[in-house]
Amino acid sequence: MKLLIVDDSSVVRLAIERDLENGHIAEVDQAADGEEAVRLYREKLHDVITLDITMPRMDGLTCLENLLKINPEAKILIISALRDRATALIALKRGARGFLCKPINPEELREAFELLLTD
Amino acid sequence: MQMNDQDIRIFITMARRYFEALEPQPTLVIEPPFLRDELGPLLEYTGIIPVSGRCQGAVCFTANGGMLETILALLKDERRDDAAKRDLVGEIANTLSGNAREEFGSDFRISVPNVIVGPRLSADLRTGGRNYAIPLNWRSETAYLLVSLK
Repeated sequence: MKLLIVDDSSVVRLAIERDLENGHIAEVDQAADGEEAVRLYREKLHDVITLDITMPRMDGLTCLENLLKINPEAKILIISALRDRATALIALKRGARGFLCKPINPEELREAFELLLTD
Repeated sequence: MQMNDQDIRIFITMARRYFEALEPQPTLVIEPPFLRDELGPLLEYTGIIPVSGRCQGAVCFTANGGMLETILALLKDERRDDAAKRDLVGEIANTLSGNAREEFGSDFRISVPNVIVGPRLSADLRTGGRNYAIPLNWRSETAYLLVSLK
């Protein structure tokens, strides 16, 4: 299984990678912004993507649309500090499979990830 | 419209939530906010989130390197270098201000963090709003959540 972690914070990217370490994941890539994420995804078509929203160059909601243009079945979990209901609804409407709020709770993250894998 | 004490309570709640997520037995003590003539105090590392939309100004989290190193350790991040501390202080500022949209709504628009090292306040942070400083005492160190919005 290939995982792509997209967040402009390296602290968050490493935390997500550590929290999700298990036997399922064969390969992990990281991207610091939406543009890099789209480039990496086009190349490797990862099975699961975790995606931040507030990022430089290309924000997460725009990136989400671009990833889904490449593969409408992409499994994308939003992980964002933006805790308002409207943003979560927009992300889910545009095709995200889940929405988690920062600060990240490792248990919730693992549960959401397992759900995505069985989806 | 200036920020009022009720609005500031929202940021206090977000700070408490952040530190509660870090450790099972939270030890954060939040002192009463105080007003200053300009944004500050600024400690060794400051993450600045420019805000637009329903409010204009900035939300900042400022801390010394020691506190940031302790948080990195709790996050099981082995790095202690300057880049990791800059990254972390920006991410904390982003999390606290992004979480505030739960109360302020999506028109409380935040930008990606800027990070400054040392007590240098750039001119674009002089917002003309009321400058609140919220002292956050944690594990024998003090950080500040700074809110300057109008």
